[in-house]
Amino acid sequence: MNLKELYQEIILEHGKNPRNLRKTEGFNKDAKGNNPLCGDNVHVYLKLNGQKIVEDASFEGSGCAISMASASIMTDLIKGKNEHEAKEIVEDFLGMIKENPELKSKYLSEDEKTKLMCLSGVKQYPMRVKCATLSWHTMVSAFEENTEEVKTEN
Amino acid sequence: MKIDQIKKEFPIFDEKIQNNDLVYLDSANSSQKPKVVVDRINEFYTKQFSNVGRSVHYLAVAATNLYENTRTSVQKYINAKDKNEIVFTKGATEALNLIANTLGQSYLQEGDEVLITELEHHSNYVPWHFLRKSKNIKINFAEINDEGEITLEEIEKKITPKTKLISITHLSNVTGAILPVKEITQLAHSKGIIVVVDGCQGAPHLKLDMQELDCDFYAISCHKMYGPTGLGVLYGKKKWLEELPPYQGGGGMINEVKKDRISYGELPNKYEAGTMATAQVIAFDQSIKFLESIGIENVMKHEANLVEYGQELLQKNNSVKLIGNPKNKGGVLSFTIEGVHPHDIATILDEDGVAIRAGHHCCQILHDKLNIPASARASVGIYNTKEDLDQLNESINNCKKIFNL
Repeated sequence: MNLKELYQEIILEHGKNPRNLRKTEGFNKDAKGNNPLCGDNVHVYLKLNGQKIVEDASFEGSGCAISMASASIMTDLIKGKNEHEAKEIVEDFLGMIKENPELKSKYLSEDEKTKLMCLSGVKQYPMRVKCATLSWHTMVSAFEENTEEVKTEN
Repeated sequence: MKIDQIKKEFPIFDEKIQNNDLVYLDSANSSQKPKVVVDRINEFYTKQFSNVGRSVHYLAVAATNLYENTRTSVQKYINAKDKNEIVFTKGATEALNLIANTLGQSYLQEGDEVLITELEHHSNYVPWHFLRKSKNIKINFAEINDEGEITLEEIEKKITPKTKLISITHLSNVTGAILPVKEITQLAHSKGIIVVVDGCQGAPHLKLDMQELDCDFYAISCHKMYGPTGLGVLYGKKKWLEELPPYQGGGGMINEVKKDRISYGELPNKYEAGTMATAQVIAFDQSIKFLESIGIENVMKHEANLVEYGQELLQKNNSVKLIGNPKNKGGVLSFTIEGVHPHDIATILDEDGVAIRAGHHCCQILHDKLNIPASARASVGIYNTKEDLDQLNESINNCKKIFNL
């Protein structure tokens, strides 16, 4: 176990000053997620343009440093991607958080991969994996226009 | 009283937890188990096992006697008037559900009001909510004051002519407030109102005397009392348990079963349907003996010293904010750190072997009231020492360092 790996500077920084912590004006897709075990919750908003490209992404909610940083980084890098690309990135991210040593998606730049890899420290903390994945599951739910609230899973 | 000696009776403290000595500060969640309790479970399964109350063979009779011995021990420990006022359940949650369900079937009517408090654990709210849905009863909440207490005056204020029942915690699992249960019961009874007490936190840490408290029902969680999981105790005044209908149907709770009619068994069998947690009940006798050997007055004194020490320590630690400051406080220290989420606190403390709980502790109503999504909670038991609280404080400082506070 290594706390330094879990709480890297970039995580602490995003946790403290989350990007896109607001409600997108004129959003056309959104979904809510919550972690019934701890009461943490997130609401993800997406605004897709005519070409189905994410013009803006944002979130509201509260949670630990890991969940806030994860939602912050996610909403940052999903902008400019289309639904297909976004979903592949989600798959790639969830695979990395659970078992894969690295990210493989061609839709991620090296810089984006580096940022996301900062969240890989949660692998060693099974109870905290759901903190990192809640906003991602919620974003998929938003794309699919599920009205049911997302519950966390590991 | 030598805490070091007492601590030695708990095998878990011989273990290294991720290479650390265990600093267990999560007893409000569940207590650790002394060796006598663990050994008793093993011994029963190894040498004495049989189901109880059914067969006539030697083992069955012996096991039944052991099972009933625990009932008598519990009766004496909580000073209940009658042995048959002690019902074993699968937990305090089941005990509270049993009370709500049976009172809902036969006593509470549409429009009746149940008064609970903002301090209640979900298990003393959700069962009443079921009745709000099915019977259209109303639930009122007594509100906490700034110290995180529920006063007698507040209860009095919230009683209406329609209040039929008051269900309150004995000791808050978040603020640590000890409620004036005896006074509340006197007040309630003078108005013909039933009193139910959630004793999950009260039973392990306070002196219990059912005849003095005079409440109508009291729910106990055995695993918080140095006992096994899967076991609870429902104390209920005999007149209520006799009057109310059964909760679950099955073997053991019947008198006679015919195609056209069924009659139910006597107390306490009436409420103990199916095969019970036999080994746990038998081992729980050892938990009571363990507590008796220390003496509840000594337990209370030790824990009060710890809480006072811990409170002072955390009050001095800037950026730590304690939740609630009740005059009568049990062994619970709930807190937040400005800028660090409780889950992050718990993970960082865990790295030092300090086990606490983070979250809403099944008290979302209270956390909403306090306007915080979650809190961190350190809670003490008989095995804790001032050194444990020093370590807690030190690990909190490490937490602040990681978060650059």
